[in-house]
Amino acid sequence: MKKAFLPILTILFFYNCCAQNAFQLAPPMLKYHSVFFKTSEMVSMQFAQPGTKIFFTLNGKEPTQNDSYYTKPILIQKAFTTLKTKVFGNGFLPSETLAVKFIKDGLKIKSVQTTEPNEKFPGNGPQTLFDNKGGVANNQSKDFMGYQTDSVTINVLLEKKQKITSVLLDFLCDYGSWVFLPQSIRVYYFDDIKNEFRFLAEKEIGADSSQQGSTTVFEKLNANKKVLSNRIKILLKPLSSIPAWHPGKGQHGWMFIDEIKIY
Amino acid sequence: MQRRNFIKNTSLGMAALMVKPSFPFSQDTILGQGNKRYRIDTHWSQADVAKYPVNDCHEMIQDKRGRILLLTNETHNNVLIYDKKGKILDSWGHEYPGAHGLTLFDENGAEVLFICDNKRHQVIKTTIDGRVLMVLDYPKETGQYTKADEYIPTETAITPKGDIYVADGYGKDFIMHYDASGKLINYFGGRGTEEKHLLNAHGVCLDFRNGGEPVLIVTSRQQNAFKRYNLAGEFINTIALPGAWVCRPVIKGDYLYSAVLQSNSRQWQHSGFVTILDKNYKVVSNLGGSEPTYANNKLDEMYQTIKCFSYPHDVCIDDEENLYIAQWNSDKVYPYKLIPVV
Repeated sequence: MKKAFLPILTILFFYNCCAQNAFQLAPPMLKYHSVFFKTSEMVSMQFAQPGTKIFFTLNGKEPTQNDSYYTKPILIQKAFTTLKTKVFGNGFLPSETLAVKFIKDGLKIKSVQTTEPNEKFPGNGPQTLFDNKGGVANNQSKDFMGYQTDSVTINVLLEKKQKITSVLLDFLCDYGSWVFLPQSIRVYYFDDIKNEFRFLAEKEIGADSSQQGSTTVFEKLNANKKVLSNRIKILLKPLSSIPAWHPGKGQHGWMFIDEIKIY
Repeated sequence: MQRRNFIKNTSLGMAALMVKPSFPFSQDTILGQGNKRYRIDTHWSQADVAKYPVNDCHEMIQDKRGRILLLTNETHNNVLIYDKKGKILDSWGHEYPGAHGLTLFDENGAEVLFICDNKRHQVIKTTIDGRVLMVLDYPKETGQYTKADEYIPTETAITPKGDIYVADGYGKDFIMHYDASGKLINYFGGRGTEEKHLLNAHGVCLDFRNGGEPVLIVTSRQQNAFKRYNLAGEFINTIALPGAWVCRPVIKGDYLYSAVLQSNSRQWQHSGFVTILDKNYKVVSNLGGSEPTYANNKLDEMYQTIKCFSYPHDVCIDDEENLYIAQWNSDKVYPYKLIPVV
């Protein structure tokens, strides 16, 4: 009787091998204004290929065919929401997962002053960093300000003095275009009583060689104490020497920033 | 083996064979919509990579003997000549490092080729077997160019009387108009803010479908559009193709075919497909792309849905309505053949 399974196994094996030949579906097309939103953001999805469905999750997990599938635009309201989408369809390999992180607006910013960006990548001036636009990995976009200097200083003035718990900065990461995350971020707040800027938070960032393609990455720095202020100073160090695994080894990396949020 | 078991095994095997496979073959995939649907053969080319290597496969044409000519920027063999079954018949050319545009023209019964070389900054007219007949250098007589490097021609279109239109698609986006002897008559297009201007004028062709004087169709790739001009270079209108980085337009019968290098929504991510327009410039099918839909006569944004192409660069339609797709920057892949589904 055992032998009875052999032909079936052979045929299943054969079909499994052939499955490698099937084409993969492309990820869906998502439409939204920006990943940065004030109160909510509406996301619509498209994939005009008969016999396919877009499955998605909002809990950070990989979408499967047991998850919800797209039928109508979805409303994003939670402060940090990761939308993951994937297309499935008979006769095709499922698409790669397309993930988008949506970020809610923070404390009201009155103005921003920055180190002069590179003349080729001025963005739309300092306004760029609190216009709730961007989060799309496109180094030609006016939503980014680009730098290739040793250090960048950003001064943020809030509408009013408030409790500050964290600072979020959104960057482009596109090694193919020599755009890296900064190697370090230091954040200071203005202490009215002492009449000086005092340390709030810092982060060192390494250039991870496994990062592929072009993507936006946000860095959120949490304060190690409760502070009350209306002024924040951010010191950024763009990558001073590109690591050995990159064709630009030893040269100065670019840094592209498109948004700042204070919480 | 006992006879009983043998019968059982055989019938199980037969039953398994009769089950419709749940796992598909890529060649079972039908691409496109409506009456422009195709089955894809990714193994059409029988070329031995050691003998006939390719780099970017830029453009293809079919000659009157039925042979399929491929232009590649691999100087080991810039032109590969295939039969329709994918067998290599011949090859020639070592002197076209930037081989990009390939146009066929029937000159009083003799077929000639026009090659745009974007590294040599020249257009070269040859016989069908590669003998050079004429070389057009950069058009300094326009006053728009100070050196050859500024001129990076990508495509030509030839009128019945032999006039040559050259698209400077990677240079300054002007369209040059020469007479058959290579004398500059006119130029138009170029970059700017008006609708008549171009951005990445990657292709040009002549459209004879409406009878009378033909119309020039020029690609404005970064604007995701074709633009129409009369032979004097006067702008007529724009055919918007939202989302599609169209390469050159190729007309066969009532239809216009074009490789779409990539989807605007997924740039530089191997997101190409092939689009087909009818006589009224309405998109009727996207091969590997989204089903075309119009809302209030406006075409919705198009995009890749099936990753069967990486960066398709040209479509050649043979005398049996099969398509051949040449691809740029796609791991040196040979062209694919697409067979119509009746």
